[in-house]
Amino acid sequence: MDNVYKPDLMEVTRVRQETPDVKAVSVRFLDSERASNFSFRVGQFGIFSAFGYGESTFNICSSSNWKDHIEFCFRKVGRVTEAFWKIEEKDVVGFRGPYGNGYPMEAWKGRDLIFLGGGIAMPPIRCAVWYALENRADYGEITVVYGARTVADLVFLDELDEWSKAERVRIIRCVDPGGETPDWKGEIGFVPHVFERAQVAAKNPVVLVIGPPIMIKNTLPILDKMGVKPASVYTSIENRMKCGIGKCGRCNVGPIYICKEGPVLTMEQLQGLPADY
Amino acid sequence: MSAAPQFEPKIVAYVCNWCTYLGADLAGTTRLEYPPNVRIIRLPCTGRIDFNLIIKALEVGADGVLVSGCHPGDCHYTAGNYHARRRWILFRELLDTLGIDLRRIEFTWISAAEGRKWQQVVTEFTEQTRKLGPYKELYATGTYPDVPAPETASPEAKSFAAESELREVCHKLLAEGTVKVVIGYGARGPFVVTRPEDADRLVWNNRCYSNLTTYLKRKEIKALGKAAVIVKPCDEKSLVELEKEAQFERKDAHVIGMACEGVGQPKCARCTARTPRFADMTLGVAAGPEPQSSPSPNRFAALMAMPPAERMAFWTEEFNRCVKCFACRQVCPMCYCERCIVDKNRPIAIDPAPSTKGNFAWQIARAFHLAGRCVGCGECSRACPAGIDLALLNISMHIAAQKNFGYEAGADPKAAPVIGSYTLHDTEGFIR
Amino acid sequence: MSEIISQSTLRALAAEWIAGGKSVAGPARVKPDLVLYRRLRSVDDLLLEGFQRPANSIKEFLFPKAEKLYGYKIRGNSIELIENDSPQHAQVIIAARACDAAALPILDHVFNWDFHDEFYNRRRAATTVVTLACSAHDENCFCTSVGLDPGSERGSDAILFALGNGEYELRCATEKGRALFDGKTEKSDRTGKAIAGPEKKFDAQAVRTFVTAHFEDPFWQEHALTCIGCGTCAFSCPACHCFDIVDAGPAAGNARVKTWDSCQFSTFTAHASGHNPRPVQPARQRQRILHKFAIYPEKFGEILCTGCGNCTRNCPVGLGVLSVVTEINHG
Repeated sequence: MDNVYKPDLMEVTRVRQETPDVKAVSVRFLDSERASNFSFRVGQFGIFSAFGYGESTFNICSSSNWKDHIEFCFRKVGRVTEAFWKIEEKDVVGFRGPYGNGYPMEAWKGRDLIFLGGGIAMPPIRCAVWYALENRADYGEITVVYGARTVADLVFLDELDEWSKAERVRIIRCVDPGGETPDWKGEIGFVPHVFERAQVAAKNPVVLVIGPPIMIKNTLPILDKMGVKPASVYTSIENRMKCGIGKCGRCNVGPIYICKEGPVLTMEQLQGLPADY
Repeated sequence: MSAAPQFEPKIVAYVCNWCTYLGADLAGTTRLEYPPNVRIIRLPCTGRIDFNLIIKALEVGADGVLVSGCHPGDCHYTAGNYHARRRWILFRELLDTLGIDLRRIEFTWISAAEGRKWQQVVTEFTEQTRKLGPYKELYATGTYPDVPAPETASPEAKSFAAESELREVCHKLLAEGTVKVVIGYGARGPFVVTRPEDADRLVWNNRCYSNLTTYLKRKEIKALGKAAVIVKPCDEKSLVELEKEAQFERKDAHVIGMACEGVGQPKCARCTARTPRFADMTLGVAAGPEPQSSPSPNRFAALMAMPPAERMAFWTEEFNRCVKCFACRQVCPMCYCERCIVDKNRPIAIDPAPSTKGNFAWQIARAFHLAGRCVGCGECSRACPAGIDLALLNISMHIAAQKNFGYEAGADPKAAPVIGSYTLHDTEGFIR
Repeated sequence: MSEIISQSTLRALAAEWIAGGKSVAGPARVKPDLVLYRRLRSVDDLLLEGFQRPANSIKEFLFPKAEKLYGYKIRGNSIELIENDSPQHAQVIIAARACDAAALPILDHVFNWDFHDEFYNRRRAATTVVTLACSAHDENCFCTSVGLDPGSERGSDAILFALGNGEYELRCATEKGRALFDGKTEKSDRTGKAIAGPEKKFDAQAVRTFVTAHFEDPFWQEHALTCIGCGTCAFSCPACHCFDIVDAGPAAGNARVKTWDSCQFSTFTAHASGHNPRPVQPARQRQRILHKFAIYPEKFGEILCTGCGNCTRNCPVGLGVLSVVTEINHG
């Protein structure tokens, strides 16, 4: 019987602790045939499981060009993530996916890309940035504004450094006022304000903004002033999920099932949806 | 020719750290041999032992459970074992009602000096359990005689005389701003009124089943402001218990008591109070004289007359219909935890699935969490869409509280609650 | 020319099916005032008259309240997934109601939307639904308001129409139905028909328009205040299908289990972070009506409700789809 709920078994190849409560995990398929057949689009998510504890939904935060493994990044907040916190290399976890609609990287070709992220929202941005850098000629100027409450809450800092060395890439890191350390060299301020101050000159950009609702709410007027239409502003919505395949009835925002017609939505779409997320 | 391998029972022992654990240790250091069948689980105090632990041990395959701690008066935490004893008295009755083999659960006091007693207890309990054999009857199906079902009447809908007076009173309370919301009954069921002109839609008739006190805890209702709640005399008993548990303060609500002529529910046959006693105002005239005592329903006697295995089969059949809709929990005024133990997932305390095991775990938890607190409003039974005879479980705990502690939930605002208090003379007979 | 079958022949057939290893489910009296669809151990338990409709639905025979998706064995670092490969037994549901049977084609959509839920599909394929057309309706029925009627053949493999004096006209709607009754009926010229059904109680399209346009509306607060947030409505509904996937670890047998869930539970949409998009009962009640009357129709072209009235009959506090939706129509 074709069991859509049955996970693939994955072996953990690397665990990196990014912050006191965030880890990034790399996994590879134990079944090599499945590994060679597998592909996904950046922006899609997977349902990862800790056997004995349950399943949890995370964005696949690695680039779709990396063929030998996939990555997910999580914050330790509940039953399943507490179990994930304890995993080490060679442990086995489950994976169902890829699910969701992913970013329309094809449609974004030729455009300038602006990525705005807050805190734990960097992982779903990271995969898109890597993809764009690996297909550098397809995209215009790339700007990343990434901030967190404190320096300790920033993730993938080493990769941000790497990105800033690529051509036509501008990386701006910031922390909330009061979150800086004495040797902090980045910006201080909330992401929307730092972005505004940065005066990013972009022609007809695509903007991917992911973060807490208040951050998104404060970013939209700034984009509006820049002349960016809501149809060019994208976000990735989080909602509680279980099946990931549009059946359990839990993740819908109005008529949109986040697991199938999302999680990537444009602002235009989101503004037409009820406040159900 | 070698003999067939002997059955080796698995015994789980929950022991307190300060007495029995040291007693067991003493048995070891003084070279007293005892069977290796026992797995010791150490807890700070018997007072910490959740009844659920006893069930879990049986669920995961234990054939016998031993529970042991300091002697009364010697608890390391002063009174932990007195509380434990209270709980055990009630819990044994619940286990008995469910048909669980009580011979497989033993309670004992063993001090840090009683290494020899530990040896004796474990040896004898192991042998006793070996003779009983593996515990295969847990949650087993089987045949059983009929238990008479609760009598319900579906009377012709009949308004009670105080209905128009009730509407006037509520209109006035809202119009004058004495209360912001009235929790009452409407044409289809409970009805919440915030506008004075809607008071006319309140009803008072023989279909007013719900125990409206359950709404006092809901945050959407609390957000509306001071409430008036309409209570039948049976529902009012919930307020007495809620007050004891600091969930309800008289000054924060306006209680409108209704003298009742009966609503045709099984509880009406055992009615002990037809007029509310503590309401801020009482409307209506009671039908007939106050009954003096409530006879036990013969349904419970019929259940307890069965041998344990048949009782167990009865409950397995009943609980197998449970779909875990939790209507029983949601209608109950005494279930006011913001997050129920079944929703706890770090770690999972009650198996959440509606499997046989998951249903038993939930039903036992519910019944025992209500022991000594349930006032018998009968709403859980009425609400259950699967027709599970929940009342029987609550009745068993009610009888246990009466028999052992002379306590009747909801009767006396000054009586100390059953769980949470103890006396130095609580029954000891079953404890070794 | 019609086909007739007597009640005694029907019962004898059902007894044969049971003896032959088929799983047979039908209405049975569980308590003096409670009839439920149950797996029948004996055909003597089958109840064909004397009640409006069972208090549960037939969905549990295709979408069980607990379904083991797979088990797992943990040995050190290695995991072995254990699937249940046992064959699906044939199932007959006898004396279903039209409002139960019609829910099956409605559910087919969501269980096959891009991903095929074979747990459901296998049971669906192995189940023959024999519907008994209604001979009465009560004040909680509203099939006619959602595009159905007591004689509807949707989702049924065969339908029985009472003729009186213990006989039924049998109409087979599918091959499965014909296969079950082949050669077991008598020819006749008598025909039966279902009753007309209740008067339309509301306009489903008007409900859809209202709920879509009134997401934020004091209506929900007013009409959901008495909802106590249990799962009775969802669990007794033939069309509700929301579920949870639980993994309770070794103590529960090391398995992933799909279980029924209800959008009315307070933690249904609660995030691990503590955020809950639907933190109050009115928001959850709104979701139920929206899902049934607006979202499911938008996605799959069908109302997620067959008007059986179970929610209203079973609701401990007298709510249910009918009471909320009639308020919408009146407002």
